[in-house]
Amino acid sequence: MSLSSIGPGTASTAPEPDTERAARYVYCLAAIGEPASLGAIGIEGREVYTVVHRSLGALVHDGPPRPYETRDQEQAAGWVLAHHRVVEAAWQRWGTVLPMTFNTLIAPAEKGAHDSLLAWLGTEHDSLKRRLDAFAGKAEYGVQVSWNTAHFARQVAQTDPEVNALEKQIGSQSRGLAYMYRQRLESLVRKGVEARAALEFKELYSRISQCVDQARIEKTRVAEGEWAMLLNLSCLVSVGRVPGLKAQLDRIESTDGLSVRLAGPWPPYSFC
Amino acid sequence: MPQTGATLVDLLDRVLDRGVVINADIIISLSGVPLIGIKLRAAIAGMETMVQYGMMRDWDQSIRANATIGDRPLRGRAASGITA
Repeated sequence: MSLSSIGPGTASTAPEPDTERAARYVYCLAAIGEPASLGAIGIEGREVYTVVHRSLGALVHDGPPRPYETRDQEQAAGWVLAHHRVVEAAWQRWGTVLPMTFNTLIAPAEKGAHDSLLAWLGTEHDSLKRRLDAFAGKAEYGVQVSWNTAHFARQVAQTDPEVNALEKQIGSQSRGLAYMYRQRLESLVRKGVEARAALEFKELYSRISQCVDQARIEKTRVAEGEWAMLLNLSCLVSVGRVPGLKAQLDRIESTDGLSVRLAGPWPPYSFC
Repeated sequence: MPQTGATLVDLLDRVLDRGVVINADIIISLSGVPLIGIKLRAAIAGMETMVQYGMMRDWDQSIRANATIGDRPLRGRAASGITA
């Protein structure tokens, strides 16, 4: 698509003359009517402004045509947080956003990064608009359920008939045999807990996923002491369904040995 | 009531690994750029502790104060975050 065919309705904050050879770092897209400037809230304090084609705008800053990379972890963390803060500011102002992944840079090709971005917005306008509309009134939440492995191991030990029978036999065994019985007992309890984990996972997933628009299963994180993460979900939730989700999580939290963490709301990073 | 604190580690995963990826030749390629995410989790976890203890609150507020357009400030951090 040539730029001349974009036609009326195309408007943007004009780039500074000395930034024509600069890349455009893109934070997110939003339905933006009027071009706007958000001030120096970008990565490393860069000025963030909008590049708008028809009713679709990209939040960008002008910068060197190189991806951000560093060995300094604190610096990297600052960049990533700055990226998110711009996305969040746009989200609060325009309601719905399509967040870009970190380090999305439009190259200053022969026609310049600004025009390349405008042309891309023009070509992709309809499909991007549809994706944006699909997220209207929705937010992403992280839901994590951890369980207390010691609590559930005790429960298995108390209720599993095979474990009970074996426990009774241990007392009457010689020391050597008792040791072997105990090993077998531990393995039985471990298997019982694993089976229980699979059951709980299914049950929790079903209870939570029926309260949200979309649920995506994430890798669980490393256990902390007796508590192990059983379920880690990214959930896309309509604003009207949030109270229902919170009520469900309250019920799960009130179960002995289960602990719930709810994080968010965020723009729909995991569903773009 | 479940905890509702948004953690920076959760955010980090999303900002680095998720979001829209533009598949077009207008994009500067990231091939050969080492992922900055690997050790970032530890750094972020440290920062989260700082935020919890209020050490970064001033910094955070000053960043938000900058996000002002003319005399029309951006809406504050809404509890729901959704304004659509």
